This record gives sequence, structure tokens and C-alpha cells, in this order.
Amino acid sequence: MSASLIKTTCPFCGVGCGMYLKVNQHGQLLSVEPQQSHPISQGKLCDKGWSTAYAIDSYQRITQPLKRINKSFYPISWHEALTTIADELTAIIDESGSNTVGIISSARASNEDNYAAQKFARAVLKTNNIDHCARICHSPTVAGLKQSLGSGAMTNSAKDIFQTDLILVIGADPTENHSILGGHIMQAHAQGTELIVVDPRVTRLAKLTPMHLQLKLGSNIALINALLHVIIKEQWFDENFVKSRCQGFEQLVKHVKAITPESVESVTGVDAELIRATARAYSQAERAMIFYGMGITQYVSGTNNVISLANLALSCGHIGKAGTGVNPLRGQNNVQGACDMGCLPNVYPGYQAVAELVNQEKFSKAWGTEVAQPPGLTSLGMTKAAQSGDFRALLLFGEDPVVTDPDQNHVQSSLKNLDLLVVAELTMTETAKLADIILPAVSFAEKDGTFTNCERRVQKVNQALAPLAEAKGDWQWLQALAKQMGSQALNWQNSEEVFNEMASLTPAYQAMTYQKIADKSGLQWPCTKETPDGTAILHQQSFPIGKARFICVNQVDIDEPIDENYPLLLTTNRLHFHYGCGSMTRKSPLLERETPPGILFINPDDAKALHITHQAPVSVKSRRGYVETRAMLSDDVPIGIVAMPYHFKEAPSNQLTNTAQDPVTKMPELKACAVVVTALAKGIAPKTIQQLQEAQ
Amino acid sequence: MEVYQLDDLTQLQQHLLVQHQLYQVIKNDDEQCAWQQQTKEANEPLIAMLPQSSAKNFFFAEHESLLIFNGDYFQETLPTPEPFVLFGVLSCDLTAISYQDKFFQDDPYYQARRKQCLLVGLDCIQPCQQGFCPTVDAGPGVRQHNADIILHPLANQQWLLITTNDKGAEAIKGLALTTSHWHLLTQRDLTLRQCEQDFPDHSYIINGIDKLNSGEIKDSFWQQLAVQCLGCSGCTTLCPTCSCYSTRSISVESEQNKVIKQERFWDSCLYESFQREASFHNPSSEAGKRVQRFWQHKFGNEFFTTFNRHGCVGCGRCEQTCPGVIGVHSVMKRITNDA
Repeated sequence: MSASLIKTTCPFCGVGCGMYLKVNQHGQLLSVEPQQSHPISQGKLCDKGWSTAYAIDSYQRITQPLKRINKSFYPISWHEALTTIADELTAIIDESGSNTVGIISSARASNEDNYAAQKFARAVLKTNNIDHCARICHSPTVAGLKQSLGSGAMTNSAKDIFQTDLILVIGADPTENHSILGGHIMQAHAQGTELIVVDPRVTRLAKLTPMHLQLKLGSNIALINALLHVIIKEQWFDENFVKSRCQGFEQLVKHVKAITPESVESVTGVDAELIRATARAYSQAERAMIFYGMGITQYVSGTNNVISLANLALSCGHIGKAGTGVNPLRGQNNVQGACDMGCLPNVYPGYQAVAELVNQEKFSKAWGTEVAQPPGLTSLGMTKAAQSGDFRALLLFGEDPVVTDPDQNHVQSSLKNLDLLVVAELTMTETAKLADIILPAVSFAEKDGTFTNCERRVQKVNQALAPLAEAKGDWQWLQALAKQMGSQALNWQNSEEVFNEMASLTPAYQAMTYQKIADKSGLQWPCTKETPDGTAILHQQSFPIGKARFICVNQVDIDEPIDENYPLLLTTNRLHFHYGCGSMTRKSPLLERETPPGILFINPDDAKALHITHQAPVSVKSRRGYVETRAMLSDDVPIGIVAMPYHFKEAPSNQLTNTAQDPVTKMPELKACAVVVTALAKGIAPKTIQQLQEAQ
Repeated sequence: MEVYQLDDLTQLQQHLLVQHQLYQVIKNDDEQCAWQQQTKEANEPLIAMLPQSSAKNFFFAEHESLLIFNGDYFQETLPTPEPFVLFGVLSCDLTAISYQDKFFQDDPYYQARRKQCLLVGLDCIQPCQQGFCPTVDAGPGVRQHNADIILHPLANQQWLLITTNDKGAEAIKGLALTTSHWHLLTQRDLTLRQCEQDFPDHSYIINGIDKLNSGEIKDSFWQQLAVQCLGCSGCTTLCPTCSCYSTRSISVESEQNKVIKQERFWDSCLYESFQREASFHNPSSEAGKRVQRFWQHKFGNEFFTTFNRHGCVGCGRCEQTCPGVIGVHSVMKRITNDA
């Protein structure tokens, strides 16, 4: 029937599509409709977007604060919840110091929520222990591109897909994870744009192009160095650009001199001629874009992988112009924003280093209180310290690390070891089940605020529904908690005031206001006095570090190769039906119906050798854990590799994944570990991890 | 059939508002067009713009309760809407309503809403961006049997009002109207014919339909096409003739009691699980098969026989919303050129 249409931004993935929420006269969300005039999505949504109404439905939502007593949760008032949390936090800080408490904020929450979270940590708790899930998606992007280019974000914009001659997609599966951008790439390719896909799996995009480099897991640097070797040897690099805009090219020339395509054939599994053809196509294209994702970042070599992509783009001058660039596909709706807001232990809002005295003074002055000085812990650092008892209280919202973080058993036992775990959530998650106090959170449809998408576009989120029951927005409960702890540092009347305070302290956001964001269909940072309408393409004249840097990097093999006991390599992937831990998308009866709760993709040849049939129950075991799931026979995974999506709490791939980390960013190697797969008795359903753990 | 001349559309809106809730397509600041309820106090001008969502959810609700079980007995939950009028439905969408009337002929939930509705159709006198209604016999002029009242814009802000049946005649009773000269009907025909001629060449759609029904298209073509189907459900959601649904039980607990609600919701035949059986057997497990089935439903001769027309009404919404660029225009061009 007829409904009011409230314009907002889709809550799934970093593309940030425009949608309307259809709300009936009773204030109920009926469904959604894509926004035709949206600058990126132009009237399209993916299956996740279309199912938004299910994701935030009141059915199964947490409606009031809950307190855990033994294994059960009991409803309590907000007053009791806040006094309990405040008292315990104060006691722990008094006893063990501020470095034993911290916050994990959320890439799903708004910029305002994230700004409030890091301010709460730094100004109220007096700690830099603040992090979020970018740690396990694009922290190597932030670190890598910062070194090479001076700014760790997507250099170009979605619209550039239609202004380029060649698109190189490496370690990313955009049609599944960023479907609308993936669709743009398909459309551009159909209209004549060349497409090169580098991926161990046969992704949907790989099926559309003859140029598929099916490299072995974790051989990105070897491949890219070989591409650079060919480009330099054949004089295909952009000499002018390299001379005028970059430094360190001579070292790179020396570094890749011996790395011929033939020399990396065995490491990468890619034919030398295909490497040459790729080098020629990319370097000789008038304009060429690189898109990449977790297949670059989730390795022990994550930061160096990112740096090598920057080397490739810089050498050919494919940066700073329309239709070019190094473009990370950010996973969650506001992961760019959560990073921009300084929900990272080492930076304040706008990537202003915590270690620098001048920044400490700036924020102490602005916030009217001394900010914390010691460096903070990452999310994995917090769980690790919790294990040993050196970290005692954690506030966490909108994330489910028990499902999404590597080595689930370690995360679970760490969180259990805390003296206080507070989780604010929409619905009961595996992490919330471990909480001492659960706070009912509002969904994106119940709040005002902004999300920043992967092309740095800050977009408005508009409240369409009243908060469900007693649910509160994240910055609102953080504010209430700060007051309870005797601090007036978080003192705002509405989300616009939060935004304005943040913008006044964040250089790249300084010229943004809610009104301007609404009028311009979003603003891309940097948006400053000099660039009041935002910036679609970064680094057009110069880099933030002056000249961009070529940094020589070497191939680093994966941490855990196969052996006799663990003869298959497990990689992780995502399904277009689901988002992260599945806490939202799995509420849709349609999306939930699409797959069994947990699957393992396996090549039919491997399956045959192991006597595994399609949909048959199987067990998967690594050095760290064991899960049971169902096999999906698919030629999309090569022989020797199996792939598991991480959306399913019943069969979490993170029982199995490796915790070996990128030394720079502590990014765990989620993309490769050794496993053994065994057929289970036919006709018996796979046991969920919960059943397996209870049986122990 | 009676034909009148109408000088002021507001009069008609106000008249209908006395006994009906009235819904009309409104364009918002972002040019998004959607069905919105109108009140006596504020009547927006009538626009011939295709709303992004068709009117199908007025009859076939996106989610609806079918029955509840309270522990003792089952209770049917039939909707009881007030009489309402859809004011200014374009011909393509009216054709789709007529198509769905047949499909949901014996569906009490659909019919409970449908019988309360007065359909006021609006002729299109200009082609729209993605539309090709003349190619599939669904417009641009409103077909007589598809609406209770038809409105046709004349020069000087005047309107031709045609009642096509008793329901339409009853609805305008008491409204002061001038009976029109029959030559204005001829004028209408000329205008509509001119509009048909203004549509771009859509012969590839006719060729595509022929080829689709020739049985010559290979499986490999559908498989290649289906690589681009992201299973988003956008086409089936926006298609005014799509009618697939599923049901689920939801238990609703309150302090007083616990009831089980059987809910019906829109489904999509492009989901892999749509036709999967409990044994995991699936006659359409391949994406190619599902995409083929979708287009077969829209243009296949076997469905034409059942419904006396194509399942496609030429609105072009699928082309606009498909992220994989396999909406009707793209698909028909590929069938014509590549299959």
C-alpha cells in the first residue's frame, strides 16, 4: 500500500547505494526502494539491500538492557545498566589503570557513533585502546597506501569505472561483496572496457574475461614484481610521471631486474606469457584502474601487497587522473568512516597521529580534558591481553568478533576472561552471548547520521522509524555512560552537533555540513575551504607526502603451507547473499534459504578423491579447530584449494583460520591455512560448532 | 461507455475523495515517483510518470498475514480495506493488474483488496525512457477493459473522461460533467497513434520473442547470460506482473498469549533455492535455467495461451534496476544478436 518514502543510505557494504525506506502510517517499515537519482547506484540494489526490512525487523530484536547472571539474561533498566557499567569501569581503572579497558567500535555504525566512541575512550576512559574491524579488512591499505601515496583511501571514484580503458581486479570479488560496483564493472566491460581478473578462484568477473590470472594463494607480490619487471624492461613505464611525481624508482628497477615472468611461474602458477600480456595491457592502456580487496590485505604480507600495487600504478602513471588509481573496495558500509573518525589505536580523527605531542595538545584543548598518551591496543591486542588478564573491560558495539575474528576459540576464551564485557547490539549474536551487560541498539533506520562509503563519499542516514522499545543510538548511550562516570565531555543535543564537532577537528571533513551533504548527494573528502564541493580524484597535482614513494617489497610465502596431515589449502570468501557475520542478512527468509548454514566449496576432483558428493556432510580440520559443514562441489575453486564463507556461526571458518599476522598492522592471514577435509557419514546433518563444543 | 469533457481535474479528485481513499503518483524532490495518498486538503497535479514501484502491492501485499493459530483454532486474516481509488494508473501497469487479476482469481486476500479498488487510467501521450508498451500490446493508450475510468489529456488543461463500465459510471455520479463530442475520441486515437510512432525502434524485442519461442537458443547462451544475474530480486520485485511468493510461520509471543502467524511474502524465481526440494534436488539449480525460465514466463507462447497476452507489459523497470545489465532491452538485444 502507500507509504512514506524516507531517503537514506543502504546499511550494507562500502558502495553506499541510495535507498528509500517505505514506512506505513503505523510507523512500520514495509520494504525498501532504490533511489533512481543516486550518483552511484542509479536505481539499483543488490539482494542484501532489497532485504533490508528483514534485517532490522523488530522480530528477534533486543528491546531492553539485559544482564547476565550465570548463563541467563535478565531485563534491567537503563539506569541499572549504566550505573553497573560505570561503577565497574571506574573500579577497574582505579585498580589496574586505564590501559586495561577499551572499546571496539563498529564499521556498521555512523560516523557520529564512531567519533563518540573514540572520544569516550580517549577523553573519558583515558586510553587509546580503541579499534574496530578494519583491523581485519583494510588496515594494510591504510598502512600501505599511507607509506606509498600519503593517504590510505580509494584514490578515485565509482563513476571512473565508466571513464577508463582497463580495469584490473585483484583479490576482490566485487559482484558478490560490492554488487552494484561489480555490476558497473560488468557493464563497462560489456561496453568495451578491458577486464583483467587476478584471483585464485574463478569469480563471476573471471568468467566474463579471457584475461584471468589464476594465481596461487599468497603469490601477489611475486606476480606484481614480475609485471613491474616486464614494464621496466620493455620501457612501458611512464617516464615523465615517474620522474616528476615519484621517488625511489632506481631502487625498484634494480629490485625487480631479476624477477622475470619465468622466474615466478612456479610460485604464482601463472603462465609467463599471460604475465607479459597483462603487463602490456595495463601499462599501455590510456587509463587503467586497479580494484582490490581482501585477497590483497588478509595475508601476513598484507601491507607489502598493497605497497606493490601502488608501485604498479605509480610506474605507469595510472593515478591522479580520471579512470585510474589504486582503489581498495572497503567492506562495510562505514569502514572508511570508522577509520576517518580515528577508531584506531594510533590516530585521532583525520589520521592525526596519537604519538605526536602537537596532536595530543590539539585534542586535549578541544575536548577540555587531558587525553590519554600511551599507545593503544588493537582489537587482537585487546583479546590477547584479556587472555593473560592484562586487559579487563571491553565495550563493544555492532560487531561479532566471535564469528568474524580469526581463531574463534582464542577470541571466545579471551572474552570470557574479561571482568566486564558490554555489548550493544540489534539481535543476539555469538559475542553478545558472552556479555555481562547487553544494551539494545537502534538500527540505521532509527537514527540520523552519516556513513562514508569506499569512494570517500559522506552520505546522510535519515531516521525513518522511532527507536524500537528502549533501544538507543550508540553515541546516545555512550553520552549517558560518560555522564554517569562524571564526565561532560560527550555533550551533544543531536547527531548534527556531533558531526559539527568532528568536522571542526578533522581537516578532510572541515567544509562539510549536513545541509551540504544532503544538497550535493554526498560529499567526497577532502572537503576543505579550498575544495568546498569535495574531491572525486585524489593526488591530481601532488601527493600528501610530496612525491610518491616506490618501496621495494619481496614475496612472502604464506605462513602455513600444506603438508601430509593437512593436505588442502583453505581460503575464505563471501557470498553475495550475506553480510559479515550474517546477523542482519540471515534474518531474511529468502537469503537464509539460499544455502545451508555453513558450506565448503571444493573442486569436484578433490571431492571425488575424498568420496564427497554435492551437499554431503564433511568435516574440516586445521591445527586450531574443527568444524562440520556441507560440501558444495564447484569448478570455481581450483584443485588443492577449498573455500569457506565466514558468515555462518554454525560452521565458522574462523575456527580454522591462521592467526599469523602482518607485522605492520597485525592483520591475520585469513586467506590461507592448511586443512584436512573428510567425508562424514551420509544422511547425518553436520554438527554445529555449538553442538561440538557442548559434546566436549 | 460514456465520454465526457472535464475542465478541472481537481473536481474529479475531490468528488472521488468523498467516498474513497485516493492514491496518486507523486514526484519528490529527487525525481523519484511513487504512489502516495492524497487528501482533500492537498491535491497534487496528475503526472504521467512511471512510478518505480508499480501498483501491484495494493493488491498483492509485499508481506501479509494469511492466518493465525492461537493454540486452539485457526483464523483467516482477510484484509478489509476501505474503498480506494488508484488515480492515474498508466496503461502498462493497468495491463499488469489485469494480468494479475487472472493469476489471483481465486486468491481471497488479493480479491478482498481488488474489489475495493476503482481504477482510473491515464493515457500516455509521450513515450517514456525504457518503455516499449506498443510492442507488447499494453499501451500507450489505456485499454478499455483494464480501467473503470480513463483520463486523456487534451489541450488547454482539459481532459477527456471515459467511463468504461458501471463501476466507473457509478463513481462519477453527481459530478457535473459535459458530455463530449465524439470527435474528441477520434482526436484521442490520433494522439495515441502519434505517440506509438514516437517510440524508438524496438524490432529487436519482436525478433527476440520469435527466437525465444523457436527453441533454437542453446543452453550455453543462457548460462553465459546468467553469469551476470546477481540474484538480487530487483527485476521480480519491480516487475508489475511477477507474482511469486513464499510463506513462513512466525510465532508472536506477548504477555497474554502466544500465536503462530502464517505470513506470505514476495519471493523471486531467480533465487537458487526457489525451486529446491528438501532432498536438495533442484530442477533449476543452474543460474542459466532460472534466467531462461524468467524470460520464458514473460514471452513464452505457452504463457501467452493461458493469459491471452505476454507476461511482459513493456514498462522497462527491469532494465533500469538490474545491476547485472540483463534487463529486458539488454537481453532481447543479446538474443537477437548473439543467441
